[in-house]
Amino acid sequence: MTSYIIRRLISMIPVLIGITLITFILINVVPGDPVVNMMGKRVDAQTIANIRHQLGLDRPLYIQYLDFLLKAARGNLGRSFYNHQDVMKTILQRFPATVKLSLSSMVVAIFIGLTVGIISSVKQYTFFDHSTMIIALMGISAPVFWVAIILQLIFGLKLKWFPISGYSGIECMVLPAIALGTRFAATIARMTRSSMLEVIRQDFIRTARAKGLSERVVIYKHALKNAMIPVITIIGLQVGGLLTGSILTETVFGIPGLGRLSIEAINNRDFPVIQGTVLFTALVFVFTNLIVDISYSFLDPRIRYDGGEG
Amino acid sequence: MSAKKFLAVVLIMLVVVSLAGCGGGQKAGQSQNQGQPADTKHGGTLQDALGGDPPGLDVQQNSMLETYYLARLLFSTLVRYKGGTTDLEPELLAEMPSVSSDGLTYHFKLKSDLKFSDGTPLTSKDVKFTFERMLKPETKAINQWVFEPIKGAKDMEDGKSTELAGFKVLNDQEFEITLESPYAPFIQNLAVPCASIYPAEATQKAGEEWTLNPIGSGPYKIAEWVHDDHITLERNANYFEKDLPYIDKIQMRIIEDEATMTMEFENGNIDILSIPDSEYPRLSSDPNFSKMIVENTPLNTYFYVMNENVKFFQDVRVRKAIAMAIDKDKILKELLNNRGIVAKGLLGPGIPGYNENNPGFPYDPEQAKKLLAEAGYPNGFEVENWQAKNETFYKRNVAIQAMLKQVGIDMKINQMDSASWRQSRNNGKVPIYLANWWADIPDPDNYMYNILHSSQTPQWSINYKNPKVDELIEKARVSTDMNERIKMYQEAEKIAIYDDVSIIPLFHIKEYYIVQPYVKDVQFHPTGIGSYNYRTMWLEKK
Repeated sequence: MTSYIIRRLISMIPVLIGITLITFILINVVPGDPVVNMMGKRVDAQTIANIRHQLGLDRPLYIQYLDFLLKAARGNLGRSFYNHQDVMKTILQRFPATVKLSLSSMVVAIFIGLTVGIISSVKQYTFFDHSTMIIALMGISAPVFWVAIILQLIFGLKLKWFPISGYSGIECMVLPAIALGTRFAATIARMTRSSMLEVIRQDFIRTARAKGLSERVVIYKHALKNAMIPVITIIGLQVGGLLTGSILTETVFGIPGLGRLSIEAINNRDFPVIQGTVLFTALVFVFTNLIVDISYSFLDPRIRYDGGEG
Repeated sequence: MSAKKFLAVVLIMLVVVSLAGCGGGQKAGQSQNQGQPADTKHGGTLQDALGGDPPGLDVQQNSMLETYYLARLLFSTLVRYKGGTTDLEPELLAEMPSVSSDGLTYHFKLKSDLKFSDGTPLTSKDVKFTFERMLKPETKAINQWVFEPIKGAKDMEDGKSTELAGFKVLNDQEFEITLESPYAPFIQNLAVPCASIYPAEATQKAGEEWTLNPIGSGPYKIAEWVHDDHITLERNANYFEKDLPYIDKIQMRIIEDEATMTMEFENGNIDILSIPDSEYPRLSSDPNFSKMIVENTPLNTYFYVMNENVKFFQDVRVRKAIAMAIDKDKILKELLNNRGIVAKGLLGPGIPGYNENNPGFPYDPEQAKKLLAEAGYPNGFEVENWQAKNETFYKRNVAIQAMLKQVGIDMKINQMDSASWRQSRNNGKVPIYLANWWADIPDPDNYMYNILHSSQTPQWSINYKNPKVDELIEKARVSTDMNERIKMYQEAEKIAIYDDVSIIPLFHIKEYYIVQPYVKDVQFHPTGIGSYNYRTMWLEKK
């Protein structure tokens, strides 16, 4: 297992270099000069040239990229063109809000998704199965900002049960978690149902029932555990996506997370922040994938990573 | 790991992370007594909101609305507007400056015992430092224009000098400023938030961090700034106006979503709010909320730009046809709910030289068609409108698109991200678009020079050039006789707008705020930076 993890960590390096290189090329190719954007109309060409020089934007592109890469390797992502804040510090300040939102929405998603998925599979083709799968389809299709506004109107404005927006306590996370979580709950429910249906029909489940185990033990101990591999994969991918920020949910509920930081940086052409958030996002994704892969071996004893496998 | 264990781990992680993140939250309603007299006006916390996190608080480096808004709370300027009017009065100055007969030299005297919020004294040296910092290339400032009329400013900007030749410190309280040539609105420039005075020592010590935690001499100071979440301001105990401000603390939440912000107001979590366009019809027709609405007339003009580098727009008849094809009254009524007036010139109400007798361009699509035919376009033409992504502007452009279609002009709307759009506009490449100007100062020069002078029109993608208009604007900005200046600006406006149709004035919009009934004596900054006068404002409910 250790050698597998080391191999995976080493294989991350070219991935990260590739991602930063593509980002660097993209931000330099798309229209929109960061200095022009910062300066407005009243500044003359000479001043713009001076500022480009001070920011190092007049150097050849490959020098700019290598400079970024070497500094990033030492943990220095530079400073924002706009507020001059250290990019690494900014990202680390925003990350807790994103983690809070991601985990709370995943709790909602996993709780609803697994429960609905299991019951639907056990009660296949019943009214419950059909109705929950239709609701799940609606959940996948409903835009998150729409769900968010409806939740704000009902539970925030009318019933006053939860804060409408903000980031000052766990109660602030309830509506954002539901808004974001229900979308993923629908995906998890559908995946759990189909995976469970496949497992339930296998021989070892028939054996378990034949030897007189209760239906509860059969479903939760034998079927569910074996049906979890694809579900965990889906959850892992979603957690990876969530940990990089949920722009719409963060904007509607006023949560100071990575999603808002990234979109503001893109709009402002704040190159150091764009590069920093992309690199951080890539790291989150590769680490999440690694954790998901490792978790397979805990769920399925047949999966082992030592001995050159993987 | 079983499913139960997996869920348990996720739940535990959630609780730990949630508890860890709960430390920085606001404690609404707390108030601090900082030694001010106990009376009915003092005390309390104002719950305010900003539509975005300020990109920084260094007013020399950016002119975003949020930064200017906060600047009036954190810093002071040499002069300021009197209440909600456009009249100037001394702020840091003991009296209004005296000016030499040739209009070149100004003598200033600061109030005695001025202090920054950290307790250090504010002297003439701080004022000199502030002016010079703005002009030094390494500051990367964008608001040099306010100090550019001073002698030697250009040399500093070009890196040829490290000291401002036209600034002479006489003693700790007095200084003299000499201009390169007479410039009538100079004193107005000193009231703009970007002319706020910085403490020399603290600014240099803070370096790059200054923009995140500046120190000023305004009525408040920063207590906490959690980016994209909230900014808390507390009363500056060293503020030079004793017993002011009345309100102890201002809690500014950063809420980007307009609907969310409005719901927070409705729930009583925000005390004052600039009403978003989309929410105005609902709030103004609600019997309770309509009573809380306050009107403000800021200084602004919305206009249509036709790039004279584009073939069609080189013919004045085409430009005039477009001006007559746009039904401004209809846009104002249907899209702005009558929140404003139709513009008949570049200068709007509140600006000296505003001419309410200007004829305007009547809505006359038949005449517009005739003009197009005369210009050689009887069947119209195709043109692209470029705009930065913005729902409000898009709706207005769609309405104008439909009106232009009536006269045969097929205008496509191309929405771009703001950075790309700004670059195209500044490079003079945008063919036709909806523009606006919110005045920095209530002086006609601020509009006329910045929009219609040929040195400025390329950056607007207007690309208009008329030597007569340039000459009038240049003469008017150096004249010290206001009546003479007004005549010149009105003549320049007549030529540029009515003879040449360089731009099409559309409307001057009004702003509407909604204010909780317990917030008293609200006054707005006259230029439209959205800032309230916190010196007069107080809370009935603490």
